[in-house]
Amino acid sequence: MNKRRQVVTLVLLVFVVGASLVANLAAGNTPALGLDLQGGASVTLQPAGEFDATGLDVAVEIIRARVDSIGVAEPEIILQGDTVVVNLPGVNDQQEALNIIGRTGELLLRPVLQSGIYNPDATTTTLPGTTTSSSPSTSLPATGDSVEDGAGMISGGPGASRVVSTATTITATTVPETTVPETSSTEPVVVTTENPLADLGLGDDPNDPTQTVLLFDKSGIAYVVGPAGASGKVFKNDAQPDVQTGQWAVVVGLRSGVDGDQLWNRLAAACFNKTPQCPTGQLAMVLDGTVISAPTVNEPEFTGGTVQISGSFTADEARELAKILEFGAVPVRFEVSQAQTVSATLGSDSLRAAIISGVIGILLVVLLLLAYYRTMALFVIAGMTVSIGFLWSVISLLSRTNGLALSLSGIAGIIVSIGIAVDSYIVFFERIKDEIRSGKTLKNSALRSFESAWRTIVAADTVSFLAAITLWYLTVGSVRGFAFFLGISALTDILITYFFTRNAVLLFARSKRAQGRKVLGIQTVKPEVM
Amino acid sequence: MASPFDGFGRLYRGQTTVNFIGKRVVGFTVSLVIVLSGAISLLVQGLELGIDFRGGVAWEVPAGSLTDADARGVLQKNGVESANAKIQFLTGAGTQVMRVQVGDQPEDVRLAVQKSFAELAKTELQEVSVASVSSSWGRSITEKAIRALLVFFVIVSIYISWRLEWKMAITAIVAMLHDVLLSVGIYSIFSFEVTPATVVAFLTILGYSLYDTVVVFDRVQENAEKFSTSRQSFANVANVSTNEVLARSLNTTLSSALPVVALLFVGSFALGAKNLEEFAVALLVGMLAGTYSSIFVAVPLLDLLKQNEPKYRPFKDQVATGPKMAALMGVDSPPKRPQDAVTSVADSTEIADSAGDSLAKRATATLTHPPRPRKKRR
Repeated sequence: MNKRRQVVTLVLLVFVVGASLVANLAAGNTPALGLDLQGGASVTLQPAGEFDATGLDVAVEIIRARVDSIGVAEPEIILQGDTVVVNLPGVNDQQEALNIIGRTGELLLRPVLQSGIYNPDATTTTLPGTTTSSSPSTSLPATGDSVEDGAGMISGGPGASRVVSTATTITATTVPETTVPETSSTEPVVVTTENPLADLGLGDDPNDPTQTVLLFDKSGIAYVVGPAGASGKVFKNDAQPDVQTGQWAVVVGLRSGVDGDQLWNRLAAACFNKTPQCPTGQLAMVLDGTVISAPTVNEPEFTGGTVQISGSFTADEARELAKILEFGAVPVRFEVSQAQTVSATLGSDSLRAAIISGVIGILLVVLLLLAYYRTMALFVIAGMTVSIGFLWSVISLLSRTNGLALSLSGIAGIIVSIGIAVDSYIVFFERIKDEIRSGKTLKNSALRSFESAWRTIVAADTVSFLAAITLWYLTVGSVRGFAFFLGISALTDILITYFFTRNAVLLFARSKRAQGRKVLGIQTVKPEVM
Repeated sequence: MASPFDGFGRLYRGQTTVNFIGKRVVGFTVSLVIVLSGAISLLVQGLELGIDFRGGVAWEVPAGSLTDADARGVLQKNGVESANAKIQFLTGAGTQVMRVQVGDQPEDVRLAVQKSFAELAKTELQEVSVASVSSSWGRSITEKAIRALLVFFVIVSIYISWRLEWKMAITAIVAMLHDVLLSVGIYSIFSFEVTPATVVAFLTILGYSLYDTVVVFDRVQENAEKFSTSRQSFANVANVSTNEVLARSLNTTLSSALPVVALLFVGSFALGAKNLEEFAVALLVGMLAGTYSSIFVAVPLLDLLKQNEPKYRPFKDQVATGPKMAALMGVDSPPKRPQDAVTSVADSTEIADSAGDSLAKRATATLTHPPRPRKKRR
C-alpha cells in the first residue's frame, strides 16, 4: 500500500504493455483474421464409422501435410473433439478445398521394385539398386525374440517374425534365420540399374493403388513401388513401440482371416522369395503417397500373428511408425459436415462493419462516462487504452504462435467484454461515491471502495471466465472463438483492475491536489492531517 | 426543483427509495407474460433454424439487378427444387447481396449452381459464396452446446453457492433462464433465423445475465451482513441493496448496450452485414433483459426464498418505504458492523469532527427515526 510501490507497479505495467505492443508491431505480428473476415474456404469434417483417437491424430497430420504441399498461406487445421476444422484462407474454390482434404488417407503395403536416389535430370532416371546381393547381411540377436515373441523364434521356426527396416546399424548375428539385409537408405550405393524408369510404365497418380509409381520417403529416398498388395487393414490396431535388445522396434498384430494374415502372408512370401512382383524383398508402407518405411521381409510366413518391425529407430521414430500403423489398421473416413466459402468482398465488408461499430461503440461509452463521471472518466479511458494494448499484444502473439484467428464471433466476444470491462470501473466509482457521501476523505473512500469493489469484480469476472472455459472445452466452431475472447477479456479485466485502476485511482486519491475538491460531483472532505 | 432532474440527482447520489420488493407482483407479471408468450410462440411456430442446424446449401451472390425469379431460374436449370428455396436480399452500403438457401445438395450440383450464379451476376466464381452443411452437423453442435450449458450450470451453481449462498445460486439461474427464454421467444415471435452466431448471442446473454445478477447479489449479501444485528426483514435488506446498485446497473447496461447498438446500426443498416444485425438484436434484448431480471426477478425471488428464514421471519411484514428506507440506507450513513466501527475510529482520528457526526447518524439509523437534516460539512 505504499506510494512508491504503487507508482512502480503502475509504471511497470504501462511499460510492459507498451513494450510488448511495440515488440509485436515491430515483429509484424498482427491478429490473424478468420475466414469470415478475409474470405476463403472452410471445411468441417467429422469421422464416420469406426475410428480411434490415434488414427484421428494421424488423419489430421495427413490433412496438414496435404494442405502444406499446396502452399496455402496460414492454413488452420484444428481438431476440436472428434471434429476436424480446416480453414483455408484465400482458397475460394470449394471444390479445390474438398479435393485437397476430402480424400481418405490409406496405408498401403506395396512391394518395392527399386529404390535409391532419384535423379530428375537424367532422361532415364537411374536408381541405385538395392538388391540383397549388394548389401551386407546381418541378423538380429535372439534375446529380443525370447523376451517379446516367445517360443516361436527360439525354435527357429516361423513363429513371431520380424521385418526390419533401414537397419544400418544392426550387426550382431546370433539367430541365423532372422537375417537383416541392409536397405541402403542412409548411404545408398549409386548403381545404374538395368531397368530405366521409363520401362516400368510409371503411373502418374501416387495414390492409385493399382499403378506402379515412383514415391519418396521423408528423407528423399526414391522408391519405385508396384501395385498395392494389401492395405494397413491387415494389422490390428494394437501397434506398440517396444525396446528389443536395446533397440526400438514396433510390434503389431495381424488380423486373422482372408483380409488379414492370409493376405499378409501371401505378400510376405512373395517378397521373401524375391519374386518378380517384389524383386527387392522390401515391402513399402505407403501413406498418402509417402513411403513411411520400407522394411525387408525376413520370414515367408507369419504364423505367430504378430509382425515386428525393427531397425535403427529412435524412440520417436518408433512411436511415429506405431501411430501410423494404428491409423492404417483403422483408417479414419471423414464425412464433410460443413463446407463454406466466403468471398473476400463479403469478408472485408464484415470486418469493416465490425471495426467501425466497435470504434463507434467505444466512443459512445467514453462520452457517456465523461458526461457521468467527468474527470474520473479519464481513468477509464487510460485503463481501457492499456487493456486494448494488452489484448492486441496477446491476440497478435497467439495468432503468430498458435494460429489463433480472430473471427466475427471473436469480435463479438470482445465488443461484449467492453461492457464488462467498463462495469468494473462503474462498480468501483459508485462505491467511492457512497463512501465520500458518508463523509470520508477521498483517500479513505478510495481505499475502502476498492476492497469491496474488488470482491464484486472478481466474483463477476469469475462467472464470465467459467462460462468461457466451459464453452471452450465443450463446443466447436464459432462458439469456441467467442469463448476464447470472452475468457481473455475477463482475465485482462481482473489484471487491469488490480494493477492499473487500483494504483492509478489510489495515487490520485492521496495526491495533495485532489483533496477537498469535488470528485464525482460530490464535495470531498479535506483532511486536516495528510 | 424540476422532478426529472431531481430523480436523476437522487439516482446519481444513490438516494432512490423504490420499493422493489413491494412491487414484485408487477415485475413477476410482466416477466411471466413475456416469457409465456415467447414459450407459446416457441411451441406453436418453433424457431426458424438456419442451414447450420437444418443442413442445406446457401449461396450468396452479389445481386446487382438480380431478381427472385432469376434465382429460381438458376436453381431449376440445375435440377434443384426451387419451391422451398429461401431467397433473401441483403442490402448494404452500395452493394446488394442475394442469399439463396435450399436443402442439402450433392457437391457437383453446388458447384454447378455456383457457376450459374457467377455467370448470371457477371462476376468471378470466387465472388459467389457457398456454404453447405450436413444435417447431422447441426444436431451435433446443438447437442454439444446443450451439454456445455448443463456443465456450466453445475459449475456456476457450485461457485455461487460457495461464494454467496445456494439460494442465490438458484435465483441467479432462474433469472438467467428467464433472460434466455425471453430472447429465444423474441427470435421465435419475429421468426428471426437462428444461426451459430445467434447461439453465441444467447450464450453471451446467459453470461451477462449471471454477471449482472452476481453484482447485485454481492451487494445484497454485504448488506445482509451489515444489517445482521439490526433486526430487519429481508425485504428491507433487498430493497436497500437494489436501490444502492441502481445507478451502477443502469450505467453498466448503458455502457454495455452502446457498443451493441453501434453494432446494430453501423453493422447492419449502414454496411449491410445481415449476420451482425440479428446478432446485435439478440444481444440487445438479452442485455436489457439481463439488467431487468436482476432487479425485478432475481432479487424479489430471493426475498421469497429467504423471508421465512428464522432470522428474518419475525420482521417479515415490516417493509420500510420512503424516508424510512432512506434512513435504513443510511442515505446519511448506513449502520455499521462492529468491526467497521473499529476502522471508522481510525478514520475519525483523521476527520476529527465528522466522527461525532457519523456516530450520531449510526444511532438514528438503527432506531429508524426519520433522518435528521444533513449537517453542513466543511
